[in-house]
Amino acid sequence: MSSGTSSAQRTEPIFSCPPAVYNEVYGFDGQPRTHWHKFLQVFRGIGSEDFARRNLQADRMLRENGVNYHSVNPGGEGARPWRLDLFPMLISAAEWSQAEAALAQRAQLLNLVIADIYGPRQLVQEGLLPAELLFANPEFQRSFCDLGRPGELPMFLYAAELARAANGQFFVMADRSEAPAGPGFALENRIVSSRSLPSVYKQVPVERLASFFVRLQNALRKKTARPTDSPRIVLLSSGPRHPYYFEDVYLARYLGYTMVEGGDLAVRSDTVYMKTLSGLVQVDIVLSRCAESGLDPLELGGYSEHGVPGILNAMRCGNVTIVNTPGCGIVGAPVFMPFLPKICERLLGQSLQLPSIPTWWCGDLQSLSQVLERLDELVIKPAFQKSGGEEIIVSDLTADQKAACIARVKAEPWAWVAQEKISRSGIPVWSESGIRCGHVAIRAFLVEDERRWHLMPGALIRIAPDTGPMQLSVAAGDSSKDLWVLADRRVDVVSLLTPQDQPAELKRTGALFPSRVADNLFWLGRSLDRCDFLARLVRALAERLSGEGSFDMQEVRFLARLLSEQGQLEPGFVLDGMESQLPSLAEALPTAVFDPGEFGGLARTVRDLTRLASLVRDWISPDTWHRINVTAESFWTTPNREWRDLSDVVSSTGILVGDIASVSGLIADGMNRGPSWRFMEIGRSIERTAATARLLITADLRKGNATPQLLKTLVEVLDVRMTYRFRYRENLQRNAVLDLAITDETNPRSLAYQLDRLVQHTDRLPGYTTQPLRSPEMRLVMEATHAVRMLTAEDLANAGLKTVTLALKTVEDAVLKLSEALTNKYLVHSGVPRQFMESAEGST
Amino acid sequence: MRYKVIHRTRYSCHDPVSVGHNQAWLEFRQVDRQSVESFSLVISPEPSVRTRRIDAFGNPVHMFSFNEGYQHLDVTSAIVVKIDEVGISSAGSTRTQQELVDSLRYSSNPFCQNATEYRFRSPRIHWTPEIRAYAAGSLSAFRPLLQNVVELTKRIHADFVYDNRATTVNTPVTDVFRLRRGVCQDFAHLQIAMLRSHGIPCRYVSGYLRTIPPVGQPRLVGADASHAWLSVYLGSGEWVDLDPTNNRICSQDHITLAWGRDYGDVPPLTGVFIGGGQHQLTVSVDVQPL
Repeated sequence: MSSGTSSAQRTEPIFSCPPAVYNEVYGFDGQPRTHWHKFLQVFRGIGSEDFARRNLQADRMLRENGVNYHSVNPGGEGARPWRLDLFPMLISAAEWSQAEAALAQRAQLLNLVIADIYGPRQLVQEGLLPAELLFANPEFQRSFCDLGRPGELPMFLYAAELARAANGQFFVMADRSEAPAGPGFALENRIVSSRSLPSVYKQVPVERLASFFVRLQNALRKKTARPTDSPRIVLLSSGPRHPYYFEDVYLARYLGYTMVEGGDLAVRSDTVYMKTLSGLVQVDIVLSRCAESGLDPLELGGYSEHGVPGILNAMRCGNVTIVNTPGCGIVGAPVFMPFLPKICERLLGQSLQLPSIPTWWCGDLQSLSQVLERLDELVIKPAFQKSGGEEIIVSDLTADQKAACIARVKAEPWAWVAQEKISRSGIPVWSESGIRCGHVAIRAFLVEDERRWHLMPGALIRIAPDTGPMQLSVAAGDSSKDLWVLADRRVDVVSLLTPQDQPAELKRTGALFPSRVADNLFWLGRSLDRCDFLARLVRALAERLSGEGSFDMQEVRFLARLLSEQGQLEPGFVLDGMESQLPSLAEALPTAVFDPGEFGGLARTVRDLTRLASLVRDWISPDTWHRINVTAESFWTTPNREWRDLSDVVSSTGILVGDIASVSGLIADGMNRGPSWRFMEIGRSIERTAATARLLITADLRKGNATPQLLKTLVEVLDVRMTYRFRYRENLQRNAVLDLAITDETNPRSLAYQLDRLVQHTDRLPGYTTQPLRSPEMRLVMEATHAVRMLTAEDLANAGLKTVTLALKTVEDAVLKLSEALTNKYLVHSGVPRQFMESAEGST
Repeated sequence: MRYKVIHRTRYSCHDPVSVGHNQAWLEFRQVDRQSVESFSLVISPEPSVRTRRIDAFGNPVHMFSFNEGYQHLDVTSAIVVKIDEVGISSAGSTRTQQELVDSLRYSSNPFCQNATEYRFRSPRIHWTPEIRAYAAGSLSAFRPLLQNVVELTKRIHADFVYDNRATTVNTPVTDVFRLRRGVCQDFAHLQIAMLRSHGIPCRYVSGYLRTIPPVGQPRLVGADASHAWLSVYLGSGEWVDLDPTNNRICSQDHITLAWGRDYGDVPPLTGVFIGGGQHQLTVSVDVQPL
């Protein structure tokens, strides 16, 4: 840890650390540490203004990539953007490879401990682990005993939380042994930082991360229980409500695994299958990103998004591999730390290379008395919980609180540990007010391959504003940083692509198509069209209310009624005596439009759009996905949030209509005509058909009702102004408008056109061709088509429009039934699992 | 004593169940004083797959699942078992509570480790200071533990009312204590919570009880029920079974099926299924002395 002097220019340090904190950048003499020389040299060339601009750019890149996490706190709302400070943390290859050796030893040790806990429990028998660590531990699940295959070690992925003490020594603050989160964030940080600082990244020899993921892929493939060259691997996610759902999606795509939730898997005859549109397909390996305690509702009880009843027995029968093996999570609790040095001597015959943060288990009488003696210097934690939960910093307590804390510990001493406070090392952090010192928490990732552990040449760095104890979750801290491991040789560029000059086997279909994906694409299609439709209605109403141009009450009433039918407006606005309500309507509209709480409103639909798009991110093009995010982003951010009026509504909805059109364009031009496209298009056609039918029913164009103003509004919201003017000039007639909206097969917004497309799509649904007669879905589409096709010119001109209204109702009814029928047949394979238990009634 | 026990569970659903996964703790575990002469488990309809394994507490558990739909599920176990009289050793009946609790500290002896498994809170065993205080009334540290627990059993039997409508299979122990009512499972849980709150290991035992009809009346076939009680650790690997529902030390009338930390570890039959609509569970147990 010497700091160089000779080659480095004498310059002022760019930041300073508090005393007794290890400075990552500068040595005691104020000179940069050797491995920082090159970077600082290049960095000084950028200039602080330029660097600030690049930081903003990185923020935008992360936002637009949808990089976020959900608040872990129960009170927190919605997704929060991920924050990255571009100034990286540097570490030399030599130091990182030392860390690799030490962490590999630790991972190996933990692996043996887990295998013993859920196997022979030799460590308990020999007195190296107190029995309380298992039996008083609520995380110790009996169902995980003897789950793995003989000879296989349970842990495959491992992460360690590292901190550097004042003397530069690394400490392990926490072990992450159950589906460690963070490698995806580390990768995204790397992509953004290398793009934002291209010149620096090129001039400093930084180890690439891809090798780690290639290793992970190759090693995971070998875990298959069934002898096969191409095992089917799925990534099991807890779903969109989980804090790190973004990372699940990101990793699944990067590694090329199908992402599933519990409901997408089914166990049949002790074998795990994935539900796809074409039936059940066997799964060999489940890469779980979920809490192990929710994996199997049959054996573990409860209900979770990722639960698959029977999956544990499928693993016991050797038909599927789950990684990490359920049970690994137990050693993530701090209570194991004080016992590791002795266990390491016993199991590996070596001393533990990397110390844990000094930890005492209060269940040991001697430790307890030591803890009570110097309580003020310590942090008290629940012994069996993974770090990140309750933490009591004793020095912050009042006398009463302290007494209560002592009483709690003494009542059940085995349930508590005490830990030393460690001041983390300091590093420069950019903020709007300038450069300050932040404190470093490193999450390092390891993967096992052929019984050897490999450290990711990089890590996720989180930054805390002070040196105090820090929550250890991935999302904790102010912001994150990238860790650059500086190579001492030329950096090999590794890629996840297959080698060149290797002809691929030609295919017409891609990966398996899970039913849930079809479901989400279907609803994405519906939301896209609904967004467009609502935006047009809202814009038309806002334009009229803002007093530009003339309008009559009838068109306002029509638009308001349609919007209240859709759930965008309170029904109270469309009662009689509406003239008097106009000012309050003008006031209510902007609020309602931007309020995501309005069920069925525009804001809610825009939110649905991004939610659904993130669910099917693997199945739409990156540009489409990006475009949808940008669309939502611009809807939310323009104009100012505090004060929105009608003109804001007009401009926002105008932009939204344009943005949706560009999303549609990307889909139409770029999306492969496979089942994913088809389900999305069916959703769009159903939505558009139902909305148009509803629009025309509500407009009520009977003779005497259809004022020229109302017809003009219709032509506007149906988006057929151009065609109409081209054909009929300014002559607004009922029958001509109805023809364009209903029967004109050349107008893509007409019912006839949309129904024709529905016929084509329905005809190509999976399994359809094998039916001897028309399917129920097809009969519904044909019923609607028939009603439209049988209309005559006279019907369209009829004073009472009886036949037309009947046809419109038939169409609306049929397509809504179609939506339901498709959902039942293709999209929902199962209901929610239910549980029963026979009780003991007892005899007296 | 020799018994033939028939335990039949019928699960009827309004709509067909599309898939179902089940676990049954219906086979008698190995216990010193019990010897099983025959055992059968008949499941109808025939499951798509069934396996048997030994769980982490040493109980045999049968796992079976259905890939095809069913509307009625019938699970019938039949067993012939012989039970010997048990006695309590003189060490076991004289060891004081304090001696036992001390012997459990920091000991690597295997008996102690085994007992430690049953010493702490578990998913269905919780206690409040009130529950702990209630138990303290019978648990004097320097009296023989056996005497203490027998007295506690007697008090629970006197203070609590057997009422099969007051609680459900998921009623927490703390509610049972407040209600002063429940069934055998509740009383077993309650006494376990009381003893564990004082550091005494005890197990939940699932099994059957021979019922003796009132004088002059015939024994009713199928009128019995599955039963539950607890087993208390006396030290040196010795356990004693107590039945708070009937206020007695278990003997040849109690037939042990399985044990765990609480009911959740050893329910006679449990399952997860999809579909089914309205459903009904009927259980009949017949314990016939041979």
